[in-house]
Amino acid sequence: MTEGINGFSSPRPEIFPAGLRVLVVDDDPTWLKILEKMLKKCSYEVTTCGLAIEALDLLRERKDGFDIVISDVNMPDMDGFKLLEHVGLEMDLPVIMMSVDGETSRVMRGVQHGACDYLLKPIRMKELRNIWQHVYRKKIHEVRDTESHEGLEEILMMRNVSEQQSDDGYLFCGGDMTPGSKKRKDFEHKYEEKDFADHSSVKKARVVWTFDLHQKFVKAVNLIGFEKVGPKKILDLMNVPWLTRENVASHLQKYRLYLTRLQKDDIKTSSSGPKHPDISPRDATESRTESLKVQQNEAVSSHRTPNNLIIQNPNSTIHEVDIKCNASLQTIKPTKIITGYAAKTGISNPFESTQYLPFNSVLPTQYSWGGGFKEIQFKQEHNPPQFQVQNSCFTGLGLPAQQYIMPSFQPPDPVISPTWSLREQTSINNMELSPFLLQGQHCSSTNIDHLNKGLPECNDHEFLNDALKFDYEYPTDSLEYPLIV
Amino acid sequence: MNPLTHLSSYVHKKTPKLSEVNLRFLNSKAKTGVPLWLLGFGAVRLRTDMNRLLSLLFHQGVLDEQFLQLQQLQDQTSPNFVSEVVTIYFHESEKQLRNLRNILLDREMWDYVKLGIHLNQLMGSSSSIGAKRVRNICAAFRTAVEQNNRSACMRALEVLEHEYCYLKNKLHELFQIEQQRVLGDAVRYPGVVHQQ
Repeated sequence: MTEGINGFSSPRPEIFPAGLRVLVVDDDPTWLKILEKMLKKCSYEVTTCGLAIEALDLLRERKDGFDIVISDVNMPDMDGFKLLEHVGLEMDLPVIMMSVDGETSRVMRGVQHGACDYLLKPIRMKELRNIWQHVYRKKIHEVRDTESHEGLEEILMMRNVSEQQSDDGYLFCGGDMTPGSKKRKDFEHKYEEKDFADHSSVKKARVVWTFDLHQKFVKAVNLIGFEKVGPKKILDLMNVPWLTRENVASHLQKYRLYLTRLQKDDIKTSSSGPKHPDISPRDATESRTESLKVQQNEAVSSHRTPNNLIIQNPNSTIHEVDIKCNASLQTIKPTKIITGYAAKTGISNPFESTQYLPFNSVLPTQYSWGGGFKEIQFKQEHNPPQFQVQNSCFTGLGLPAQQYIMPSFQPPDPVISPTWSLREQTSINNMELSPFLLQGQHCSSTNIDHLNKGLPECNDHEFLNDALKFDYEYPTDSLEYPLIV
Repeated sequence: MNPLTHLSSYVHKKTPKLSEVNLRFLNSKAKTGVPLWLLGFGAVRLRTDMNRLLSLLFHQGVLDEQFLQLQQLQDQTSPNFVSEVVTIYFHESEKQLRNLRNILLDREMWDYVKLGIHLNQLMGSSSSIGAKRVRNICAAFRTAVEQNNRSACMRALEVLEHEYCYLKNKLHELFQIEQQRVLGDAVRYPGVVHQQ
């Protein structure tokens, strides 16, 4: 048994499925003993636990220490479904539920909460023999998601660069059986993500909240105290250099939502949204224009993926969304969305942040314009915008269906600071450029590269490349972006 | 037919007095004065007794296939697996039965939710060792709880306790035979660890 850093065993892919590390949680000691014996007979490595809270502690303590969790539904200290959600959110491990009760509604609830499987007691050994399939399935889905980006050459090139620079811990390794780094909030989201990943080969510049990262995050939150928490504090505590406050803020938002949902609290916390003390100043200067121009090109290029993008952005949708955004914002007044073109031509209106709520770059699923966006939008209604884009890029590109919408604009800083906000890249349909404003910030500095978790990432080189490609289709000067004031 | 009365009819069936047979045999001695069971006949006899008891229990529906699974899990590394599990089961279910009894003792208000919880736990445990009859009575009990039928609940509890006692006795018997057999084997072949 290979020992990991902490002295806990690490997976040995060569003998898979033997050696699968299973955590069994059940309040019934008879079942614990029986399951332990059965799993041992399957050559799995078993840890048993009688309490859900204990199990969560074990899981948190031993990061990557388990491959799969089997849990009973009825437990005295915590509902099995809650545990299921926690595990899915924090650790993203496959969870199998079991119960004496096989009622359809219960099973459905289990599946809705994200269970991989639902076993009925009494459990036979043959049912346990095959639980490794859930681990395997998850693994290949993750690999497939990342590999879908590899279709494009320009992405490949970038990927090489990014891989060199990115932290090893965040790369997907083929043989590695560590749990996926995509946070899974909902079963549906996961499904959508997979669906989307097949279509798009867009480089996403996003933060992938790995288990490790989320652990740090949760620790920081707990340290600060849930009520006083703010993204800046969390960011400081987390001590992750490449992480920006927006990432933390958006993740915090999701985390809060999740907690709220758990507590069945209908009142969304609107008190402690992320704060942005250092929103980039809005000066209309030439340098800004210049930088805008540069960024625009870069951004434009970065968003372009010539192949297989789905164009689905009717104008109306965007506007509708925009309006919704506007309407939903409480503290912010929506202002102009300055387009790249406008910026290029040196519009001297001071930029104000349009206060669109960003989508969490964390969210691993791609939402279609219509439904998903609105949904997310509403969820984020109460939060003040979380932009801290130092160098925002404007693109006048349409928002295709599968992207994370970054509805807020921020004019770029005159000072191009090394911290880029990490945003979902909006994949661009080269067809649909014109009337759309893309509110997006795109990072295109090399600093971003280490943000790339093995996913295609934008960087200067790539931007430039794409920019060149892009030019042949649309002469730069003719890019017209509406100015919405 | 009321399932509870149907089940309780099982309880009153006569069972062969296996233990008496065993005892008589165990006490019988060969001409040399050595107890017969030491001469190896005992092992065979004991095993047939055990099998007979088991098949009887299966026939009566006291145990089901899960018990066989438990037996299959027993091996060299855990030679007493079945008896360990069953001991844990006895411990747990007696706790649950006490809880149930306590709730039902209250003349006024019954906490039906708690009743349901304890019943579920008992059901789960019983399914783990294959105690089919106990589990079925728990299910009937649960239905009575859902219907808020107090008298049915009281009856169900009685039957449940009765069934449980029967199961416990039979399982004890089974383990006794098993122990004797193992002991006999050990004496016959001292120093050798036998699988069952």
